[in-house]
Amino acid sequence: MHICIYFQVHQPLRLANFSITKDYDEDMESYFDSQLNRRIMEKVAQKCYLPANRLMLELLEKNPGFKVSYSLTGVFIEQCKMFAPEVMQTFAELAKTGRAEFLSETYYHSLSCLFEDKEEFISQIELHSKAISEFASPSKVFRNTEAMFSNEIAYLAERLGYKGILAEGLDHILGWRSPNYLYTVSGCESIKALLRHYRLSDDVGYRFSAKWWSEYPLTAEKYARWLSELQGDCVNIFMDYETFGEHHWEDTGIFEFLRHLPQEVQKHRHLAFSTPSEIVDKAPARGEIDVPHTTSWADMERDTSAWLGNDMQKSSFAFLESLGKKVKQTGDKDIIRVWRMLQNSDHFYYMCTKSLSDQDVHNYFSPYDSPFDAYINYMNILQDFAKKVEQRL
Amino acid sequence: MLGWEFPPFMSGGLGVHCFELTRALCRLGVRIDFYMPVSGQKVESSCPSIRIIEVAKTELRPYLFFSKASQKASYGENLISAVREYWKKCEEAVVECAREEKYDLVHTHDWLTYKAGAEASRRLRMPLVQTFHSTEFDRTSWPWDYILGVEREAAEKADLIIAVSNRMKEQVMRLGAPKEKIRVVYNGVDYARFSCPQTLGKAEQNFKGGKKLVLFLGRLTEQKGPVQFLHAAKKVLSANPDVIFVIVGKGELLPLLINMSISLGISQNVRFLGFVPEEEQKKIYKMADVFVMPSTSEPFGITALEAMSSGVPVIISKTSGVAEIAKAAIKVDFWDIDKMADRILAVLKYQPLAATMSKLAEREASSFGWEKTAEKTLEVYKEALSKHAERKL
Repeated sequence: MHICIYFQVHQPLRLANFSITKDYDEDMESYFDSQLNRRIMEKVAQKCYLPANRLMLELLEKNPGFKVSYSLTGVFIEQCKMFAPEVMQTFAELAKTGRAEFLSETYYHSLSCLFEDKEEFISQIELHSKAISEFASPSKVFRNTEAMFSNEIAYLAERLGYKGILAEGLDHILGWRSPNYLYTVSGCESIKALLRHYRLSDDVGYRFSAKWWSEYPLTAEKYARWLSELQGDCVNIFMDYETFGEHHWEDTGIFEFLRHLPQEVQKHRHLAFSTPSEIVDKAPARGEIDVPHTTSWADMERDTSAWLGNDMQKSSFAFLESLGKKVKQTGDKDIIRVWRMLQNSDHFYYMCTKSLSDQDVHNYFSPYDSPFDAYINYMNILQDFAKKVEQRL
Repeated sequence: MLGWEFPPFMSGGLGVHCFELTRALCRLGVRIDFYMPVSGQKVESSCPSIRIIEVAKTELRPYLFFSKASQKASYGENLISAVREYWKKCEEAVVECAREEKYDLVHTHDWLTYKAGAEASRRLRMPLVQTFHSTEFDRTSWPWDYILGVEREAAEKADLIIAVSNRMKEQVMRLGAPKEKIRVVYNGVDYARFSCPQTLGKAEQNFKGGKKLVLFLGRLTEQKGPVQFLHAAKKVLSANPDVIFVIVGKGELLPLLINMSISLGISQNVRFLGFVPEEEQKKIYKMADVFVMPSTSEPFGITALEAMSSGVPVIISKTSGVAEIAKAAIKVDFWDIDKMADRILAVLKYQPLAATMSKLAEREASSFGWEKTAEKTLEVYKEALSKHAERKL
């Protein structure tokens, strides 16, 4: 059975505090809080990216059977080059081993797949491929922003030449079926969906350091045993890379868990690490899934409500989308770039007003005091941006 | 339970708290004798198992100091002697009634009632629970040593202390109460009373004159922040002249505030309504487009919950107890006038923001019922009783 380990690597483009009454003669660079972005990138580089990448390099060298996969957003790569170039070097070294795959996604970590006009979505995927090809070979597998997935998204990916696509292994999509097989997608020819095993993924991503958890503490040996007891062709363990050292600090033992994982998995003869592309090539599709409404890996709902759940999110997103035509008409490279930077899904994530436990997760990641402050600041900037677009038409 | 005021004879949060708490406790099966000074007005019990016992005549309103000078001139030492008289009579009345009615526990509120309760509980050998709604530091800029002395004694000697917020808890710890003795029990709101739909009549519409209405409601003292409110008003008006600022309440700062609105050149857009009875208050909440509570020091802030119940978007200071529990609110630092003005403008400008805040505020306020406050208070009673019983053994 294939074991597929995949990490999402991303850092948002956090916005600067922008007053509602601010004059709009300033440079668009003032929209973004580059100092805060630098500070966070430098911190996470030290706590997570560098130690995790070095450990991965070590594990790849020691364990010939070990494989791993990533997707790096374009905005992550940009910020990395500016604020933590060493991190990019280690990713390039990982690519050189030939056993780390770098998947495709949207350059701006955007919700552009939800735009009426899909051209923008396609442009951002192409931009991303170009950025990845600077240090790694392009992948045949696509993973959309926050694992957003639907029949239509799969269809678009297939048209762009992708053979596989990542998605959340949701019970209501699968019914009685297991996420541990590949599936074709309704309305598509042959693209195969790799479905996240959410329980096992969250055991590491969320519950690893949870003392209330009955399985605490989680060891690599126990985890490998759980994997070995599963039935199927592949197990897909997908999570944020920041799991290591950032969501779970080093003193929780998360790095030690990772250090021992490859050897513990390989003690079970029938388990083998594979990259998404290898799995798509080797494993057959065992059925078809039908996903008319967009799903994702976020929150309890696992849909788009984390970004487009309330009126503030929906109306600001609609406003952003409505600017698209004029933005392109200006032909102004800066305008187009900033419009895309404002598409970053995180801007909308911070505006989420769900109650329950998910709100705490949103707050944990948010640089704002409240979702209302997030909306106000975003709208202040977007209104200013709209004026600039008009000026440059 | 020993109190100082009860509707309609009321000048602050203490009266609302006692009225609502006794009502909700009564529903939980608690029988209460509520002692208070003779008010000269008709005070009715809201529940058959609550007896209201008026013991000493006073017309002093201790929360309405106008200045250190007028405080002394108007009642000065009179206040202290009136309170002392109340203590003495109240203590005797409690001991007298205890012959027929078997009490389990004495509950006092603030310094005004503490001494009577302390003496009565000592003589009757029963536990004493003391609630702090505010301390001398929160009420006035010129704290009285005598009152602080009583508060320190209460902090030290009460068996258990209820603080209306974590903020209050810290304040009580500063008075010398050990942390282990303090329980935080938040205030609630009678959601149904403020949420009932009020349609705006012609008079109200004329009052607004097609303008947006920003509301301040509270005692006009430094602690409540009316000065910041006017400074913010000035900034708002320079960006949007179609706004009126309504100030409800009376207090020592009224003359200063009127002069200030003239010297700032905004008197055309500021209305001082003075004291407003509850029925009118409900209408004013409904007329408001945003409620601002810019308190520099606010142990709780029930008015914010009343505004939220009415579906008004609220902007509250971070230094308030209510900010600890209210999620559907914008929170600002009381000194950050720029941000306060910015946020007021945003709520007035961005319709989806106002709509989302309004909806969420109502929903949230409906979950802050007094039943919860009563349940938590009852837990504290039980704890105090069991501790007391242990000590007797």
